[in-house]
Amino acid sequence: MSIAMIIFLVLSIVLLGLGFYGGTVDMTTATGISASIGQIRNFYLMLGALILFIVIYRFIFNRSNLKVQHMMSTTIRYVILIAVGAFMVYPLLWMVSATFKDNNEIFSTLSLIPARPTLDGYRAAMNDYGGDINIWRAMGNTYKYVIPKMLFTVISSTVTAYGFGRFKFRGRNALFALLMATLFLPQVVLNIPQFLMYRNFGWVDSPYYLALIVPTLFAQETYFVYMLIQFMRNIPRELDEAAKIDGCNIMQTLVLVLVPMLWPAMVSAGLFQFMWSSNDFMGPLLYVNSPARYPATLFVRMSMDADSGFAWNRVMAVSLISIIPSLVVFFLAQNQFMDGVTAGAVKG
Amino acid sequence: MTKTGGSSTTRGDLRKRRGLSKLEQGYMGFFLILPWLIGFCIFKLYPFVSSLYYSFTDYDLFKGVQNIVGFQNYIDAFTKTKNVKALQVTFIYAFMTVPLKLIFALFIAYILNFKIKGVGLFRTAYYVPSILGGSVAIAVLWKALFKSDGVVNTILAMLGFSSINFLAEKNWALFIICLLRVWQFGSTMVLFLAALKGVSEDLYEAASIDGASKARQFISITIPLISPIIFYNLVTLLVQAFQEFNGPYIITNGGPRNATTLISLIVYNTAFKDYKVGMSSAMAWVMFVIVMFFTIIAFTSQKKWVYYSDDDGRG
Repeated sequence: MSIAMIIFLVLSIVLLGLGFYGGTVDMTTATGISASIGQIRNFYLMLGALILFIVIYRFIFNRSNLKVQHMMSTTIRYVILIAVGAFMVYPLLWMVSATFKDNNEIFSTLSLIPARPTLDGYRAAMNDYGGDINIWRAMGNTYKYVIPKMLFTVISSTVTAYGFGRFKFRGRNALFALLMATLFLPQVVLNIPQFLMYRNFGWVDSPYYLALIVPTLFAQETYFVYMLIQFMRNIPRELDEAAKIDGCNIMQTLVLVLVPMLWPAMVSAGLFQFMWSSNDFMGPLLYVNSPARYPATLFVRMSMDADSGFAWNRVMAVSLISIIPSLVVFFLAQNQFMDGVTAGAVKG
Repeated sequence: MTKTGGSSTTRGDLRKRRGLSKLEQGYMGFFLILPWLIGFCIFKLYPFVSSLYYSFTDYDLFKGVQNIVGFQNYIDAFTKTKNVKALQVTFIYAFMTVPLKLIFALFIAYILNFKIKGVGLFRTAYYVPSILGGSVAIAVLWKALFKSDGVVNTILAMLGFSSINFLAEKNWALFIICLLRVWQFGSTMVLFLAALKGVSEDLYEAASIDGASKARQFISITIPLISPIIFYNLVTLLVQAFQEFNGPYIITNGGPRNATTLISLIVYNTAFKDYKVGMSSAMAWVMFVIVMFFTIIAFTSQKKWVYYSDDDGRG
């Protein structure tokens, strides 16, 4: 038995002892939480039991043969993975089940299966709050700017990446450094002056969401440009040369030769832009004022403010409906997402 | 070139075309990035510079600039209780979420990298929160989980604990906002997992023959070899953490008693609720300088701890 194990054993016995005794340390002053003796005891009991478990586990582990050791560590790994997985997934599953519960049941049980399944939440979600907006319109509004943003971002980023990735020109290195610097430029610094500028342009509350869409025409989401440049580096330059000799001009080379090779990265970029734009809250908050033009994000917030006292099933139903398209897109294309995450950082 | 000699003409054409395309390249590359450059000047550079100017004025959202106030806004940024508090809270937020997220993501990626059945399933389960986590819907869900009679308190009650008013106790409220961020560790984890898969098995085998323990192998082999990804994650997480807005805005609206008012929130509130654009710009610039400071520290320190194999420098 190593010294560490002995220390842990003693610690766990002390903690368990404290737990049974009732706890002497006053946690109330430390955290400002009014904790009763009972829960301090529970806390120490759980902590002590946990440490005791680790000590016993290590003890058996050290005395076992390789095969048993292997089995033990595999089991522990699965236990951890499943426990963490539950922590990740339970909130989402709870959200789905909450939409089918009635308001008295939502917070009274932990069960994921509604005792009295009802569609009231969804029925209420369909009603509007007055003002010219309901959930379907809000969803429609969201995709009115998400889809153009997605297309424009992919096209403009690809062209910019092509320029930086494949051409030498005067000032290229300086401009590239500038591009990379904007990767770390916090959007918070830009929000207010951008708002003032768009206000002068008359883009605030524009029915075409100009303030949200127009910047994407100019490849302003640096992350995607960077990701595409990284990807382009792995495409052999000989392909461009061959295309040139075959008489392709520069745009033909891009469209006919590089785009098919870059396609997976372009799809990833489009998917990420889809997700990020659908989730974007700050943008619509600043640039959309009339309720009739609210996208889903603002509508969900409005619903929360209106109903969170009493109709949580409605709030949950509205929230869930608002993320269903994103969920569907994610499950249809999850490999592209995984590849996209790694494309920017890991040189493949 | 109207001569009839077939082969010499084509060769001449080819040479001419090559010569032309070299010349073209000189302009074409620039032409291709021109939209980005124009956009950069309009949507990034101009706002960036004008924001610096506004920060030295008393710009009002509706009245515009009336006076140049010099450094007054910056003095306020570091002396007014509300602003100092926002700085503190943002620091706590960043230094809680970034290390926690890094360690947690690396830990899970490390376990997933063993031959685990159903890797895909686990990976998806861990990744979904980070794809949806930024949305308003998830922030609303978080509120439902942690409100005084919410789901977590129901669980606590079942375990014999008394309920905690998470969103009204100032320490808890900030912790809950942090937890939402840590819950989205999926994309960081996917990156670590990809990096871990790239570490050659031979190294571990050689190390175990030399008698190195698993922990020793992790510190001496795994960490150095994936250090470029650790670095990348560190920088992106830092930049993101200093900008968090949705969570605190929707879940606690900065409360209780400004305990979750991060800088991004105070920048927004000062400009759009108090109409003090000048003051708000100064706060934004303070934040910008802080972010730059940490980014530069990260970049200069990388020589010391980030290991790039010789054929593959990132970037």
